[in-house]
Amino acid sequence: MSTINVEQISKSFGAQKAVDNVSFDVEPGEIFGLLGPNGAGKTTSIRIILDIFKPDTGKVSILGGQMTEEKKNKIGYLPEERGLYQDISLDRCLIYLATLKGMDEHEAQKRISEYLEKFDLAASKKKKVKELSKGMQQKAQLITTLVHKPEIVIIDEPFSALDPVNTQMVKDILQEERARGTSIVMCTHQMHQVEALADRIALISQGKTVLYGTLANVRQQFAKEALIVRTSSALPAELPGVSEIEKTNSHNILHLVEGQKPQDILRELLTRNIVVEQFEIALPTLDEIFIEVVKNKGVSE
Amino acid sequence: MNKFWLVFLHEYKRHVMRKRFVFAILSMPLFVAFIVFVGFLSVWLQIDNKPVGYIDQYQILENPQQVPVEKKSIFSPVPSLPFADEASAKNALNAGEIQAYFNFSENYMSTGEVTMTSNEKPGANAEDDFGDFVSYNLVKGMPEPIIERLTDGSNITVRSLDGSREMGADNWMVILLPMLAGILFIIAVNISGGYLMQAVVEEKENRTMEILVTSVSPTQLMAGKVVGDLLVGLTQLVVWILFLIIGLKVAPLFIPDMGSMPAIDGKYILLIAGTMLPAFVMIAAAMGAIGATATESQEAQQMAGFFTLPIVVPFWFVSQIMFNPNGALSVGLSMFPLTAPISLPLRAGFTNIPWWQTSITITVLVILAIFSLWLSGKIFRIGMLRYGKKVSLKEAFRRS
Repeated sequence: MSTINVEQISKSFGAQKAVDNVSFDVEPGEIFGLLGPNGAGKTTSIRIILDIFKPDTGKVSILGGQMTEEKKNKIGYLPEERGLYQDISLDRCLIYLATLKGMDEHEAQKRISEYLEKFDLAASKKKKVKELSKGMQQKAQLITTLVHKPEIVIIDEPFSALDPVNTQMVKDILQEERARGTSIVMCTHQMHQVEALADRIALISQGKTVLYGTLANVRQQFAKEALIVRTSSALPAELPGVSEIEKTNSHNILHLVEGQKPQDILRELLTRNIVVEQFEIALPTLDEIFIEVVKNKGVSE
Repeated sequence: MNKFWLVFLHEYKRHVMRKRFVFAILSMPLFVAFIVFVGFLSVWLQIDNKPVGYIDQYQILENPQQVPVEKKSIFSPVPSLPFADEASAKNALNAGEIQAYFNFSENYMSTGEVTMTSNEKPGANAEDDFGDFVSYNLVKGMPEPIIERLTDGSNITVRSLDGSREMGADNWMVILLPMLAGILFIIAVNISGGYLMQAVVEEKENRTMEILVTSVSPTQLMAGKVVGDLLVGLTQLVVWILFLIIGLKVAPLFIPDMGSMPAIDGKYILLIAGTMLPAFVMIAAAMGAIGATATESQEAQQMAGFFTLPIVVPFWFVSQIMFNPNGALSVGLSMFPLTAPISLPLRAGFTNIPWWQTSITITVLVILAIFSLWLSGKIFRIGMLRYGKKVSLKEAFRRS
């Protein structure tokens, strides 16, 4: 059973249609990437899922039904712009927000201490939140999102302001959460993180879903007839079946003539005694797919 | 309901444990103490305890004596010294031994005519104390009760026709209490309503609101905040009232003429609480809603003025309420929700308010307080996440 089921939701603010007939499901134990350019309607969709806004049409089902006060305790939310009380101490702020998620204070204290140790924030727990750096506040916000062991985690830009070490730690934590069976909805512009983490994605542009499926399927869908080839000696200027050879610092991209099979190219290279170090079918990166889809969408409109 | 308590406790502690709250709570009594001190200082500077002289060549005072000092006071009376003739009095004046001298005229007993001579303006107390000295010596020898009545004057008690309400000259509390309660109410409403509004705007600005509304229902959140803030305001009032009681207990030690503190009628306190508490909830909830609709704190402050201004209005009409407590204006002010918290107790000090008027006023206030909480929860839900956009009242009623 899906933990989140979004069915044809639409929402307008005045004349502007922020979300237009968007549908997707999120399964238990998966990381779901919700992608889209700025102003595409991602945050509005999330707010509808969280019952902050009511949709004009369509419906959302959370953990098998409508949002209730009890279900709020099973959701962890990390908003795009960070929301922590600035003028109270870090531990007081975290404990208060954890108890609002239904934890008893003693348990909250215990688990927050563990997280503070893990995130290297224990020494700063008595500091006021506003005295912490951006990265520290981001980690504190993540503690608020995860401390009550939610069944659904919705995170908007989880890696912003984090250094590589902390980014890796957050990635590990998200993977641990996924292994625990948590449904994670992740909104981010960092496509390489989505590639590294997400099982499935939905791409929203101008309020509409323009891509939806597993990461592998989506990349396959956008695969062009091209090869990535790295050789120890230089490639000949022309090869049969290859329309263009594009050189990069580390490898060559061979654009194939329509209908050309990659196996024939490999055979041709081997017969010419060229030592092949890398030979793979060039799948587009999510970045490229993102730009292509969003641009095309813009052009078609 | 559990989360209501969490919000309530957090809100209360968050304000009360701040340094600026402790400062605000102490600054008021310190300010009052300072004002009283300055008042004393200015009186003290005007007082000159140097003796005055008098020339009684027509033997008006018989075997004169100084007025006995009955009560301990920080200002002792100015002694009056006899002089045989004007020349010796003048010498004493020029030598700085006395600050002025009085000369009884021949027909003093029929006209009360006395001339005073001094080089500079005598102290404010010199003439009064000499007057007391003369009265005391004139009535000396009469029976004690008569002397007391002549010197102390009458103690008039004003009583309503049915005898249920009375006000003596000593019972200054009847006027002072509603005025004082009113001033404290305005200050408390402004301070704690301001805190609430500020808190909501801040939570909106720093986006804590998004975390809060995905954890608690808007109604619980708003109710917790309003009640928490109400208690912050009450804490402030209780501390101030404690200071006031201490002040009233300590002051008579220094000011013997002040008299003892009159007892306050319990019903009167109930009336004050009955009007001011729901009014507070009503105004606080409205301020919370303003915080949720305003886009920035400065704008919220300006909008809050609309609510605080009508509360002060009854003070402009104090004399009308005192002298014509049953007039249309007084009745109107005491029943209109925003002016009632100050007008009703004030009016009650001067007249018997029909029970139906009190009941209607308090009932309307309680209903409005609940309505205001409900509406602000609703406005809050719509307004909280619409950064940079205002919420119209029409929208608040229409949408969920």
